[in-house]
Amino acid sequence: MQTSSKNKFADGLSGAVFGFCVWPAATVAMVAPLVAGGCAPQRVATPRADTEAAEKIRANLLIGTSASGSTPEAAASTGTGWGTLKGRFLFAGVPGAARALAVDKDTEVCSKGGMKLVDRSLIVDPVTKGIANVVVFARKASRVKNASPSTTPVVFDQKQCEFLTPVLAARVGQPIDVHNSDPIGHNTNIAGSSFNQLVPSGQGTVYKPESETGMPTAVTCNIHPWMKAYAVFRKDGYVAVSGADGTFTLADLPAGEIIELQVWHERSNGPNGALGLEQPDLKWTPKGRFQIQLQPDEVKDIGTLDVPASVIGT
Amino acid sequence: MLATPMHLAHHVLALPIQSANCLTAIGRQVSRLAFLLLSTLVLASVIGCGATPPAYFRHNMVESTKQRLNSDQERQVATVLLAMFGTPDHPVALAETGLDESKLHLAAGPVRSDIVGRKNGLYREHCAHCHGITGDGLGPTAAFLNPYPRDYRPGVFKFKSTERADKPTQADLVRILHNGIAGTSMPSFALLSETKIEALAEYVKYLTIRGETELALIRAFFELDDDAKGTLPETREFLVEETLAPIAAKWQAAPAAAIPVPPIPTNIDLVASIAKGRELFYGDKANCVKCHGVTGLGDGQANDYDDWNKVIVEADKEIRSGTEQASQASTAGMSPEQLADHRLQLVWLEKFHQVLDGDALTPRTIPPRNLRQGIYRGGRRPLDLYYRIYAGINGAPMPAAKGTVPPEDIWHIVNYVRSLPYEFDGLLGADRPMVAPDRF
Repeated sequence: MQTSSKNKFADGLSGAVFGFCVWPAATVAMVAPLVAGGCAPQRVATPRADTEAAEKIRANLLIGTSASGSTPEAAASTGTGWGTLKGRFLFAGVPGAARALAVDKDTEVCSKGGMKLVDRSLIVDPVTKGIANVVVFARKASRVKNASPSTTPVVFDQKQCEFLTPVLAARVGQPIDVHNSDPIGHNTNIAGSSFNQLVPSGQGTVYKPESETGMPTAVTCNIHPWMKAYAVFRKDGYVAVSGADGTFTLADLPAGEIIELQVWHERSNGPNGALGLEQPDLKWTPKGRFQIQLQPDEVKDIGTLDVPASVIGT
Repeated sequence: MLATPMHLAHHVLALPIQSANCLTAIGRQVSRLAFLLLSTLVLASVIGCGATPPAYFRHNMVESTKQRLNSDQERQVATVLLAMFGTPDHPVALAETGLDESKLHLAAGPVRSDIVGRKNGLYREHCAHCHGITGDGLGPTAAFLNPYPRDYRPGVFKFKSTERADKPTQADLVRILHNGIAGTSMPSFALLSETKIEALAEYVKYLTIRGETELALIRAFFELDDDAKGTLPETREFLVEETLAPIAAKWQAAPAAAIPVPPIPTNIDLVASIAKGRELFYGDKANCVKCHGVTGLGDGQANDYDDWNKVIVEADKEIRSGTEQASQASTAGMSPEQLADHRLQLVWLEKFHQVLDGDALTPRTIPPRNLRQGIYRGGRRPLDLYYRIYAGINGAPMPAAKGTVPPEDIWHIVNYVRSLPYEFDGLLGADRPMVAPDRF
């Protein structure tokens, strides 16, 4: 309705448009820069709220009813048994040479024997073309095979001023042994968490993640700012990180239901690192998600997923 | 400082316009726009400049652009926030926030006196010029201050008596307002009455909870299922129970998150304690020396950013990388969909660039504190230093010693740090400058 009335207005005006609009347009063109130019840095326009809609929402919030009656979307539990998902990420392109990191501190340890640390944001196996450190996790699952997280600590070590695990995946509540195998002190800072602690030489400290990260979050050492890794914590523990050959395995997924998986890579230029691929068979979305449904005891291999160079940022 | 906008503009403008129809339509649009602009100008000249438009909250454009929200989605966030928090002149607080609206009214709105001569509008009188109407740390004076004023919206505060990830207590905020922050532009408001300070602290919490809610809403778009058509649910369940309540709960839990402080060890002589502290300071366990430097002048690790500046640095990197990639892409072999995506990407990069230019300050590195000046931002009581060392400083690179360094050792470090401004031991003679000259 609205668009048609807009068009009417435009049509009615069109006859007179030319003569009527040229001089005002010229005036505006001359005045606008003066008005807009100003002296201050240009702040971008900020969106304005819809007052009427806001009043309605507020009334709804104050009454305390959820009129639409939407229930939390727990994935429908429609099956029994467990299945396994497998796949492999291959790089369809030529990876550039890894950039050397600027190591300007503690060089007697961090550049020991002329060793050079390089940027590990994109690791492609030269033979198989497999991409390491691609993260795949289930967005939500109705059932979890192991009710509680494992009590065996995941080791997260650092040596020669490098985190030995580029992407740390763990289940919420699972202990992580943050260790330091260097003869010098480090600190480990997990962005968005409560954890930023000193880790003295040869020692470790245990951290139990309290909440999910959503997409992987950065882990840094502030003493040696070139040190970088990522951490991803999931409540259900359904998270996998691809190995050196690009393969990943997600075991014990609930069978019988549609599971949506989220895919991430550090260098992906999709939103928040989401890896968007052209995989129409899997209904892959630009937000880096695809869906699968497993049969009990099925081992589903979605095969080789080609990652074009265009989705990997510089 | 950022990617070249001209370059992008060139790309956008160079796109072929495919039909004459399209041209006419654009012409019409332009004329209509001109007409509207002119009427606005005429209207403005009739009304004159006397009427000040009501103050409004600004949208978090950096996060919103980073998350690639479209204008409808930005508007939805603004609308929902208006429903939940009102306007700068008329703030409202849902019961779940735990905020006291009467205090907010004393702090909010334009500066004015009520019928009995009581001054209202305290935030705009004392705070807004630096911290901004929105509490985004982008008030008119912000760019001229070093350090920049705090942006409350991420909900991170440095100087508090609670664990690293926890919120400050009301008393912590009141203390900062009372004492100011030494070594920064934050002055003391000790001359204001207790009621006014309490009202301001409440209003800071209000702006923070609002900012945190805004961030949560903006980020929620990414978490939406693909079939949700890019609109957030406007139900009480989503907005209050899922989004607001967890944020407010952290504020309400602050008093219970206090850092445990054992008494200062009394079985050790102060000189001996200082010597122990010195050993720890330079030792591998506490490792203070790595950042604060062998001289204690804050000249160790110094090229890091705090969490607020890091957001801008990362965004800048994203723009640079995106621009580089877009400029290398060849449009010749693209399918129509790919071409459309490519154009959208260019438009987005250009917008992000403008947003960083207009809605963010030039990032600055965070220097570790020079400990020989005797200026302690979070307070100079031994207790304040204990808090900083024990829990680290939230939002800053300073890590927590908790768990690694036992409490009595933390007290020794406190004693040593407090002695640093007076330490002259030959290595650092009185003739040595007290600041690292190349950085200050």
